[in-house]
Amino acid sequence: MHKLGRGHRDKLQQFISITGVSEKVALQSLKASDWHVEGAIDFFYSQPQFTDSRHLEELYNRYKDPYVDMILADGISLLCSDIQVDPQDIVMLVLSWHMKAGTMCEFSKKEFIEGLQSLGIDSLEKFREKIPYMRSQLKDEQKFRDIYNFAFGWAKEKGQKSLALDTAIGMWQLLFAEKQWPLVDHWCQFLQARHNKAISRDTWSQLLEFAKTVGSNLSDYDAEGAWPYLIDEFVEYLNENGIIQSGLIIDSTLKR
Amino acid sequence: MSNQKKRNFQIEAFKHRVVMDPKYADKTWKILEHAIHEIYNHNASGLSFEELYRNAYNMVLHKFGEKLYSGLVSTMTGHLKDIAQSVEAAQGGSFLEELNRKWNDHNKALQMIRDILMYMDRTYIPSTQKTPVHELGLNLWKENVIYSSQIRTRLLNTLLELLHSERTGEVIDRGILRNITKMLMDLGPSVYGQEFENHFLQVSAEFYRVESQKFIECCDCGDYLKKAERRLNEETERVSHYLDSRTEKKITNVVEKEMIENHMLRLIHMENSGLVHMLCDDKYEDLSRMYNLFRRVTDGLSKIREVMTSHMRESGKQLVTDPERLKDPVEYVQRLLDEKDKYDKIINLAFNNDKSFQNALNSSFEYFINLNPRSPEFISLFVDDKLRKGLKGVSEDDVEVTLDKVMMLFRYLQEKDVFEKYYKQHLAKRLLSGKTVSDDAERSLIVKLKTECGYQFTSKLEGMFTDMKTSQDTMQGFSACHPELNDGPTLTVQVLTTGSWPTQSSVTCNLPAEMSTLCEKFRSFYLGTRTGRRLSWQTNMGTADLKATFGKGQKHELNVSTYQMCVLMLFNNADRLSYKEIEQATEIPASDLKRCLQSLALVKGRNVLRKEPMSKDIGEDDAFFVNEKFSSKLYKVKIGTVVAQKESEPEKQETRQRVEEDRKPQIEAAIVRIMKSRKQLDHNNLIAEVTKQLQSRFLANPTEVKKRIESLIERDFLERDDSDRRLYRYLA
Repeated sequence: MHKLGRGHRDKLQQFISITGVSEKVALQSLKASDWHVEGAIDFFYSQPQFTDSRHLEELYNRYKDPYVDMILADGISLLCSDIQVDPQDIVMLVLSWHMKAGTMCEFSKKEFIEGLQSLGIDSLEKFREKIPYMRSQLKDEQKFRDIYNFAFGWAKEKGQKSLALDTAIGMWQLLFAEKQWPLVDHWCQFLQARHNKAISRDTWSQLLEFAKTVGSNLSDYDAEGAWPYLIDEFVEYLNENGIIQSGLIIDSTLKR
Repeated sequence: MSNQKKRNFQIEAFKHRVVMDPKYADKTWKILEHAIHEIYNHNASGLSFEELYRNAYNMVLHKFGEKLYSGLVSTMTGHLKDIAQSVEAAQGGSFLEELNRKWNDHNKALQMIRDILMYMDRTYIPSTQKTPVHELGLNLWKENVIYSSQIRTRLLNTLLELLHSERTGEVIDRGILRNITKMLMDLGPSVYGQEFENHFLQVSAEFYRVESQKFIECCDCGDYLKKAERRLNEETERVSHYLDSRTEKKITNVVEKEMIENHMLRLIHMENSGLVHMLCDDKYEDLSRMYNLFRRVTDGLSKIREVMTSHMRESGKQLVTDPERLKDPVEYVQRLLDEKDKYDKIINLAFNNDKSFQNALNSSFEYFINLNPRSPEFISLFVDDKLRKGLKGVSEDDVEVTLDKVMMLFRYLQEKDVFEKYYKQHLAKRLLSGKTVSDDAERSLIVKLKTECGYQFTSKLEGMFTDMKTSQDTMQGFSACHPELNDGPTLTVQVLTTGSWPTQSSVTCNLPAEMSTLCEKFRSFYLGTRTGRRLSWQTNMGTADLKATFGKGQKHELNVSTYQMCVLMLFNNADRLSYKEIEQATEIPASDLKRCLQSLALVKGRNVLRKEPMSKDIGEDDAFFVNEKFSSKLYKVKIGTVVAQKESEPEKQETRQRVEEDRKPQIEAAIVRIMKSRKQLDHNNLIAEVTKQLQSRFLANPTEVKKRIESLIERDFLERDDSDRRLYRYLA
């Protein structure tokens, strides 16, 4: 057997615990990606997966709605209990992203089947195994951004241009619990108090940039920085209410 | 033929040296020395120039130039020492005279000596690089006379004393001074400088320092400036009379510094007589003097300008925020015009039309006029007043002058689009009520606005004029078509194109039967020739002339609004009507109807109706009667013409809101235009460009522009760049 160094062995263990594959396959993938675990995972999953299309049909039929050729809310809750995931769990968003789902709370046949195929899932076991992988994707900056931006189109009503405020707040709380933006609660309060209107796509995507680039004490907030007007107002709101005062955090509930 | 050799003549030098008899040199020198003595003793007439010249020539020729030169030096020095003593001995006033006289003597002597020794000057001196005779003479004079310890300081002090006396008002002998200073200059500019000028300047500085301090304590600004001016003139005159011309600049600098520069701020800010006081009281002469004096020193004018600017801004600010003034818009604007005139005159008469002052004026006016957001409205009201009655009987030229002045104020406005909105409203009222004094004046102003702001600004206004004209033609066609209507009431219709005129919501109003049939006839006539158009009657803007007969048979012609006509016509069929009944019959909106009834029943001299009870407010059950006792001295009585008035608070808010709404598409159009041509641009530059483009109409608010940008992103006109979120890209 190959002599592996301590570091490589750890990575091997990590890979296996996430993907659940054999050592041999794990080694292959790790070597191919120069022992970067995440790269190896991507490599492994991007390879054409063999899935049994008959099994996929069966799965689909298990969840599909009796009257419509789609999986609707009931089907989704059944799926969630089968894979032992809470329907409000953020991993469902990641799943929808893989499926390129058009709207929340429903999957078309195409979305379901193609999504599972791309993940290499054709059984509930495999499904459950893939959950940790999907969770891990949220840790990747770029993937998180993609998922975040996807969420806007997914969460809004079909045919609407903007996202309803309540839905947006719910999504933000979900997403930023994962990403840990300290100001998320203040942001939601602010919106409810001052704005009370739907959220535009530009505001949605720029908020992520704001959360990532501007430190939570706002010391590097640039008023000339072409931020959407709503964000400028938010900063004003924070200053007015004494939550932030020229770079110093007054509110001790904020994590730095 | 002779074959003789040509022989060249050759002249050879003497084969033996001819040595001058050394005694010869001494003897020759003695002759010359004697001559010099004689010259100095004013005995030159007995001398032979030719002989002396020859002697000098011989000495130099025989290589005795050295002896000659050194002899000259010692002889002259000796004489000069004697001269110095005699000058020193002179008493009091005759010191300078003696010095002057001796100087003249010396010069004459020097001249003669130089002539005699010309050959030495030309040959010996250049080759040995010694000082030429004339210059030598001057140097020796300088060293032996001027630098003599007894003379040097005494000379300086005498000169300075004399100058001081003249400054304190005494008369002195200027001629002698002129000669002395000329002497110093002849000796060399550095001599003049060291022996006289430098001390002169120093002493003068001290003198003026003291004097200016004394004056500034006891004089007011105007007087002080007069004194300073006088002193400057004095010094200049002094220089021209007896000092070297190069001193002029230096001494005037000294005076300027001591008298003006050191006290500039104190003078400007002097209480009760300083710059501000002069401006307020139009003291052109004082201001002009100040300008001319301060111009001479660095920063002088800019200090004046600074204080003037802040004064203008301050007083302008008070003007525009004074609540008393705001009650009468016409007064308000007239005051602004008067201020402008005042300062224009000051700049013209006192400040030499200085451009920088003109600029200061412009920036100040621009600053404070825009402090009051109602300025655009008030200026429009002012114009309205002038065009209604103010310019009646005024000559064409004067009309032009007034309108030009108004244009000047207009240029200062930052929110020109607000002005446009009000102007349109006021113009509409003027045109529709036929109350304009001069059509030419109206057009002239439109042309001026067009020149200032471009075609777009005035196109709608011109449309209004066109509509009026077209309506006239339409009316002619109408009456030609319906000759049978000539017996009934006369209908005059103005057809307004919706886009050009200020927007009005259409209101309900039931016209009396006679009128409504007429109106229908007109409608079908009009639409008969123009398909695809929609007409709606603007009953809130019309007027009517009614012939009325009252109780005692008094006849009057009443000029009323359309609403009022509807109300009055009801009384042809009823003696008593309650408010409710009137409201039902006419269907005029309540607030308008109430105002209409108030103007018919409650205004003295115009109360064609009587109201019971006699209260000011209109109640639902109030009853109205024709006032049979109505009387008026005039046959024609005007009731409630639609005059342009200063807007009430809610109206003002509404107009402002409409202006803001109108600005949004303009901002968006500017953004799209800019992005289309640039393809991509970063945030700050975009805001700057948009603001610049819109500058001629209004000052764009950066927050508003930002909102518009976001709206355009939302509507897929623009997008943010993926890598640089501050960069916007145009989406075709």
